Amino acid sequence: MSELDQALQTFFVESRELLEAMEESLLTLESEPDDKEAIGAIFRAAHTIKGSGGLFGLNGIVAFTHVVENVLDRVRSDEIPVNGDLIALLLSCRDHIGMLVEQVAADASAEPDNETLATGVMLLNQLKSYQTATKETAPAVSKTNVKAESQVMTTLPSGGKVESGHWHISLRFGRDVLRNGMDPLAFIRYLDNLGEIVHVAMLPDAMPFPPDMDPESCYLGFEIDFHGDNVDKATIEGVFEFVREDCSIRILPPHSRIEEYIQFINDLPENKIALGELLVNCGSLTRKELEEALHLQEKLRVESDQEASPMLGDILVKQGVVQPELIEAALGKQKVAKENKVQESKLIRIQAEKLDQLINLVGEMVIAGAATSLLAQRTRDPALTESTSTLSRLVEEIRDSALQLRMVQIGETFSRFNRVVRDVSKEIGKEIGLSIGGAETELDKSVVEKIGDPLMHLVRNSMDHGIEKADVRVKRGKPAKGTVHLNAYHESSSIVVEVGDDGGGLNRERILAKALEKGLITANQVLSDKEIYGLIFEAGFSTAEAVTNLSGRGVGMDVVRRNIEALRGTVEIDSREGVGTTVKIRLPLTLAIIDGFLLGVGSASYVVPLDMVMECIELTEAERQLTRENNYINLRGTVLPFIRLREQFREDGKISRRENIVVVHYAGQKAGLVVDELMGEFQTVIKPLGKLFENLKGVSGSTILGSGEVALILDVPALIQRAVNVESRAVL
Amino acid sequence: MTISIATSNGVCHARVTGEMTIYHAAEMKGELLPCFDQCAEVEIDLSEVSEIDTAGFQLLVLAKRVATSAGKKMRLVAHSPAILEVLDLLDMTSYFGDPVVIPRALH
Amino acid sequence: MAKTVMIVDDSASLRQVVGIALRGAGYEVLEGCDGKDALSKLTGQKVHLVISDVNMPNMDGITFVKNMKLLPAYKFTPVIMLTTEAQESKKLEGQAAGAKAWVVKPFQPTQMLAAVAKLVMP
Repeated sequence: MSELDQALQTFFVESRELLEAMEESLLTLESEPDDKEAIGAIFRAAHTIKGSGGLFGLNGIVAFTHVVENVLDRVRSDEIPVNGDLIALLLSCRDHIGMLVEQVAADASAEPDNETLATGVMLLNQLKSYQTATKETAPAVSKTNVKAESQVMTTLPSGGKVESGHWHISLRFGRDVLRNGMDPLAFIRYLDNLGEIVHVAMLPDAMPFPPDMDPESCYLGFEIDFHGDNVDKATIEGVFEFVREDCSIRILPPHSRIEEYIQFINDLPENKIALGELLVNCGSLTRKELEEALHLQEKLRVESDQEASPMLGDILVKQGVVQPELIEAALGKQKVAKENKVQESKLIRIQAEKLDQLINLVGEMVIAGAATSLLAQRTRDPALTESTSTLSRLVEEIRDSALQLRMVQIGETFSRFNRVVRDVSKEIGKEIGLSIGGAETELDKSVVEKIGDPLMHLVRNSMDHGIEKADVRVKRGKPAKGTVHLNAYHESSSIVVEVGDDGGGLNRERILAKALEKGLITANQVLSDKEIYGLIFEAGFSTAEAVTNLSGRGVGMDVVRRNIEALRGTVEIDSREGVGTTVKIRLPLTLAIIDGFLLGVGSASYVVPLDMVMECIELTEAERQLTRENNYINLRGTVLPFIRLREQFREDGKISRRENIVVVHYAGQKAGLVVDELMGEFQTVIKPLGKLFENLKGVSGSTILGSGEVALILDVPALIQRAVNVESRAVL
Repeated sequence: MTISIATSNGVCHARVTGEMTIYHAAEMKGELLPCFDQCAEVEIDLSEVSEIDTAGFQLLVLAKRVATSAGKKMRLVAHSPAILEVLDLLDMTSYFGDPVVIPRALH
Repeated sequence: MAKTVMIVDDSASLRQVVGIALRGAGYEVLEGCDGKDALSKLTGQKVHLVISDVNMPNMDGITFVKNMKLLPAYKFTPVIMLTTEAQESKKLEGQAAGAKAWVVKPFQPTQMLAAVAKLVMP
């Protein structure tokens, strides 16, 4: 990727961020129309996208954003009031800019499609009424000046043209030029690069003698005879554009008429005869031409009885855009490849792939490190063991830091729903607000990316089916405005994301009836509330009576569950009729490496996430007897259901003399896993299981041990669920 | 920027080291001009001038004007590349009237 | 000796592109992501030119230039301000602060190079 392509990628990322900030601020403005900070942020977003877009020659984006920026500037200076219509229009504009950016991101060379073009035209039409009319006046002014100049020219008597094919440039720099950081030498140097300075004469006459001379003031003037092919007046004027306000600059084109030189000489403050000599000296005029000029000037004075000839008027310095080719040629000479140190800003943008690659490598390093530790232990060399243990600790720290790099706050994902809730509530005609909690909760970027769709579905579901119509709400004694709540927090090694609403809650009976009808349950099955609510995540289940635009289109909650499970997460639902519903999504913090606890059963090894382990208990012989009869033990007075991993995985190896029970917990439930051996903590690099094992229950992945053997990672939530179910059925 | 000044046989030798820029213009003026009060002849060694801008250049012009009006001699010697570039750009070599020695580095 | 140019803008992509163009032409480049950041990076080293946006978070360009001009080492450093046509009033404010050169956004990299070269040759 070339440097410029990389910069373009930065532009896309930056634009998306700015557009998100713009949206957020527009929504803020909706409730607080006087929020100056929000207005500033909105303006800045448009301003920056336009500015940077122009740098990449993205004219479509620039042209549209320019108009938006213009309107925003008027909002900023209180010329236009902020109201609902304007915000709605600006939101659409924001979306349109986003669309334009994404289309360029997808294919930089493609033109926007017709639909996008039509949207653009429509929005520009709507923006028109907010736009300023001042733009028209600027060019008009310069037109009149041009006219004035040409009129003056025609009143002058015609005379011969001078021979010189050179430009003559006369410069008198303002006193403050140097103090303002401008260096006249730099401009002359630049001019020299545009063509050839044939001759230059310096005029120090304005410089006072000490002590009056201020060394920080500029007293110098220059008369320059300049030759340049393909150089026009605007280009020369452009050279001095930054000082034109406090300097007097006069430019005479090649083959100017002699009277123009007269005028020129008249306009200059220095002694006229000396100036004439100077012009001859620097080759702009021949001696003969000078004589003729002075003669003509004398004649004019007599004829018009005026002190001086009519003023030529200030030369219009157009705000010239310099021809790019010329500059390239000028700078081409100086192009030197250089090693440059760039001072980095506080944040570095890196490609996600590079980070993924780093984490993969760290994973490999963890495995290789484990192998080394194992070998070191076998040698029983204390120094080597010591050294490998230090190494292991460092590897662990590197692993944590590497994973930390990929952690992002969930807030950004959440705040995107401000817009969704706003738009959907308008569309379905319910007044609904969004409240957000735990925005600073961090989780792995790879998880964040995949959680958007399920959240979207759940939020829309809440708005569509959960929250009642305003009249129903009022009847139930609730505020007319409904609320959707997004919340996130950490719990053991998981992040919990909640989507809640204060709507009508789930109807237990209706779910049961529907589940029966669909054959998902049998009539005599006894189910807890949680299990009943969980039924809505079953494939093909939908209780919505009205199929609406949003959630009822055949894509059900089962898709949400499948998406979450693909991330090794779980979903549960909590609901109280008339009060509201909360869906809890539990996700692992990372999808790459975890701290594991290694267990041995027979000849095989298994890993459980260390955070889920509560305690380990060695079973006494008496307890072992008991466990053969029951599926639970009495743990300090509470019932603890358990699973024998030996049975669960049909392990045949010889039965060990000792057994241990590992107490694991997840989502508020506990269960025991009966194993032979406790092998301690183990850094586990999670390798996904292939498609073949997709339906394998109780296993969520695999890992490679230091010895090269494969160990399965247990799906603790599934095992707990199983233990609890078996146990409760046995009790019944 | 530093200026070291030494007088021998009635000739004042000033040697400018570093940047002759606006940042040091006031300082330079204060140190260079008194040379003309003390001596009939001032020689300014420019071999160690790393950078010169309009303010620096203007001071050399000032010095020349002061010298001329007081009937004293001023010489610029050992022009550094930075000085040569400016004299060449502005076609000013003859104004100061000094022999320009091509610096050793260019041989 | 390469001349040093500092580019101050909150757009990373703009800094990147201007940086590429300037380095290509032989300048050394310093970057600042807003006025505050830029000020903290002006620690006495020679900077021949500053290019600064007006509208930035934390510290805007005009405040930045005012503060920069208070530092003895940068009292006379020329400034190119980036502006949009919509910001005429800002222009006057900026000129009062000591920023005399203005380049209108959006611009092409070659335009920026030309503007820079007028003030400081690489």
